[in-house]
Amino acid sequence: MSVIFEVENLSLHYLTRFGNKIHAVNDVSFTMEQGEILGIAGESGCGKSTLVNGLMGLFIPPLHPTSGDVRVGGESLMNRSPKDIRQNVLSRKVSMIPQGAFNALNPVRKVKDIAADVMAAHMKGMDRKHIYERLKERFDLFGMETDKVLNSYPIQLTAGERQRSVIGISTLLNPQMVIADEPTSALDVTTQKVVIKLIFELLEKKIFSTMIFITHELPLLRHVADNIAIMYAGQIVEKGTAEQVVFDPRHPYTKALMGAMLSADAEQKTRKPTAIEGAPPNLAKPISGCRFAERCPSVKPECKNREQVIRIVGERQVRCEYAE
Amino acid sequence: MQNKIFDAVNCVRSFGHGKKFMTAVDDITFDIKDGEIVSLVGGSGCGKSVLAKMMLGLYKPTSGTFLYRGKPITDHKAHWREVQSVFQDPFSCFNQFFTIRSQLKAAFGIYKEKPSDKEMEERVDRALLAVNVKPSEVEGKYPFELSGGQMQRMLLARIFVLRPQVLIADEPTSMVDACVRANILDYLMKLKHELSMTIVFITHDIGLAYYVSDRLFIMHKGKIVEQGPPEEVTTSPKSEHTVQLLEDIPDVNREWIKRA
Amino acid sequence: MLKKYPTIKFISTRAGWYFITLLVAVTLNFTLPRLGPNNPVDIIMGQFGSGLSAHEAQQREERYLMEFGLIRMKGGEIVRDGEGRPIRTSLIEQYGSYVGMLAKGDLGTSFRSSEKVWDIILRALPWTLALQIPTIILGWFIGNLFGAYAAYRRGIFDKALFPMALFLNSFPFFVFGMLLVYAFAILFRWFPPMGGYDLALMPGFSFAFILSAAHHYVLPFLSIFLIGVGGGAIGMRTMGIYELGTDYIKYAKWLGLKESKVLFYVFRNAMLPQITGLALSLGTMVGGALITEMIFSYPGLGMAMLSAIQNQDYAIIQGVTLIITVSVLIANFSVDMFIAFFDPRVKAGIQMGKGG
Repeated sequence: MSVIFEVENLSLHYLTRFGNKIHAVNDVSFTMEQGEILGIAGESGCGKSTLVNGLMGLFIPPLHPTSGDVRVGGESLMNRSPKDIRQNVLSRKVSMIPQGAFNALNPVRKVKDIAADVMAAHMKGMDRKHIYERLKERFDLFGMETDKVLNSYPIQLTAGERQRSVIGISTLLNPQMVIADEPTSALDVTTQKVVIKLIFELLEKKIFSTMIFITHELPLLRHVADNIAIMYAGQIVEKGTAEQVVFDPRHPYTKALMGAMLSADAEQKTRKPTAIEGAPPNLAKPISGCRFAERCPSVKPECKNREQVIRIVGERQVRCEYAE
Repeated sequence: MQNKIFDAVNCVRSFGHGKKFMTAVDDITFDIKDGEIVSLVGGSGCGKSVLAKMMLGLYKPTSGTFLYRGKPITDHKAHWREVQSVFQDPFSCFNQFFTIRSQLKAAFGIYKEKPSDKEMEERVDRALLAVNVKPSEVEGKYPFELSGGQMQRMLLARIFVLRPQVLIADEPTSMVDACVRANILDYLMKLKHELSMTIVFITHDIGLAYYVSDRLFIMHKGKIVEQGPPEEVTTSPKSEHTVQLLEDIPDVNREWIKRA
Repeated sequence: MLKKYPTIKFISTRAGWYFITLLVAVTLNFTLPRLGPNNPVDIIMGQFGSGLSAHEAQQREERYLMEFGLIRMKGGEIVRDGEGRPIRTSLIEQYGSYVGMLAKGDLGTSFRSSEKVWDIILRALPWTLALQIPTIILGWFIGNLFGAYAAYRRGIFDKALFPMALFLNSFPFFVFGMLLVYAFAILFRWFPPMGGYDLALMPGFSFAFILSAAHHYVLPFLSIFLIGVGGGAIGMRTMGIYELGTDYIKYAKWLGLKESKVLFYVFRNAMLPQITGLALSLGTMVGGALITEMIFSYPGLGMAMLSAIQNQDYAIIQGVTLIITVSVLIANFSVDMFIAFFDPRVKAGIQMGKGG
């Protein structure tokens, strides 16, 4: 197994109109091996979606890198021109599957044209006819009526076909890394299962092998991911194997998240889900201490003043000096 | 004997003609009693939202009877004084150009006679406190200044302001994350216990429904395929659709999908 | 039978609906002057009949009665009863003769000048078209260019352009026209305040006449053009910004599409409602022209309408109203067809048999 993706102390900020910085992602580090699926979980506003842009090296103002590095196959994505990133990184090295497949497809373009635009953008000099042939070959893998789907406008497709099409378009150029940003959050449980199955099929067919899967559903990650990173207020607060994080959480926030989970399972019946009160800190203001201190059930007086760093507890990373 | 809030007998609701004809609610018979929390559970397109709209009086049954407190729903405004709803997307429920507080206050518009200004302000304050928001936190704020979770609470605060007798909650938690979801469930229980509200909870997540409800209705293709107390439905499901819904939830303790 | 050809079915149902609308409009046009307690002829006679001899008045009245189809005719002669009085027609007969005349393209005769209404309209229409069509299209085009650039660039350009466009667009155009007249015709005397050409010249293709017409063209042109630019810019900017923020544009960027392609997506989609707007403003231009032409005393349909109203010349008023109605209907129909075949969302609906 070789390391394919490295994120080193990555911090990102938004520059507001008034010149303030919002530090949306702070000191995020992890590495991924070829074939690994990393789940990233956290509540909305924790910086998951901002992180996605950073991981692709795509900095569209007002988002800017503060510090740190992202490397794909050893090659850094930082400090590169948008054109360079567009031509050499997006779709080829790092690609992403967005949330809400319906809105992701241009409503006035046929699926084959949306897909062909992607291929044309990355394969210079390939004629349209050749592109369509390649498309058909690829879409044949998805278990749909290929001709019908390719020649349809998004509105003519079922939710499932649209979702497959989006996944197909995102993985057209066999990217080394796929980032799936809440690909199932808008779906009902049954459709969610169908989509996850499709992703597993593509992994099996070796269309791509390494994936970051972002969601707020921890139980889902338990089934999808090898490793899980929990994010809170722009930082990773705990990262370990899926089993470790779900069944034996060590950071107070991860524990609270698991406590808020629901289950229809017979053994879990007596346990009521417990909410985490309060709201995450305002990232526009500098934070000196632990970011979870305000809401932490086991907070100590010194937590509010002491910045927490990642340490190893029970064979996984935890950003809390009191975690055991 | 408990009063029946909703009483449906052989209720059908269909749409369209000819080729486009489809039956959204297909020959349903049920009743919902005063003070109950009932969940309608099913996947997308099972007819649960159409049924919710019938409860709000927005659709009339094509055939069969659908009664609210023994009478068909005729006067919308009078109906909505007693039956209110919360929806999935709180941002589309609030006007972006007015402060949240003014909109919470505007909710009193549904009454025939508005209470005094002082009483309205007090009730808004109490409603905000009921959903754990300090009135000062939202003072002068507009909807876009709050997060999705906070806005979902504002929708619930509106219910605390109006104190309807019946609440129709249509997937109020499908767009929020786990922590906020647990919060919202807490507030729903609070509505039931403090204001003895009747709540109809609509969701695709049977796990969620299990925690809040007194009774579950499992819906599939316009029909109620199974109903009963949550324990019974989840532990010994009789319908294959219930089994399917239970299996599709990614539960940490159970095998879900095998990765090759 | 038509089920196999959803497109033809769609067009024919739509056309059918527009035809029904036209019939309703024609009927209204027929009914309105007849709704009052007196018939229009009585009103006209009450105004113009004084000072005429009894015989003259009767002749005049009979002519008007004929015009309105209020009396029965046979072989060009008035059918008279025993006492020599014309026989009145029923409402149905009147309607029949009105529609019959319309079908032949006959809009009737002016009460004042005994000229055919159609001739009066044909004389005025070129002025209206020459003023409106280039102005609306040019204003739309330039407005859209500005709007697109503002949406794409944002920043200073947008900050300066947007309030200006908003100001122009929300300015009542007749006030704007009057201000133009005041400033450039009365104060600075750069342009003539009124008319379509120098009345001392004969209309024709002489150099002097064309120069004079061009000179008279400037102010009315500006009054419509600037407002059109404002409207186009605001619409395009708003649509462009909306499109730029959509999920599919973000997705296109994430996939690494070229910037030119992304912009193509944005503006193609933003263009659809704009083209609808253009077609609609072309359709309503005849009606919209009325006030502009009145302000500048421009010899188009608007002026014809104004003088007809002042003279209570019902035949002309009816004729012009009908022309306006028909052009609005044609514009709406073209927009419907355009959207149906250029917006795939609608096109798909038609092919699945949901249109019509």
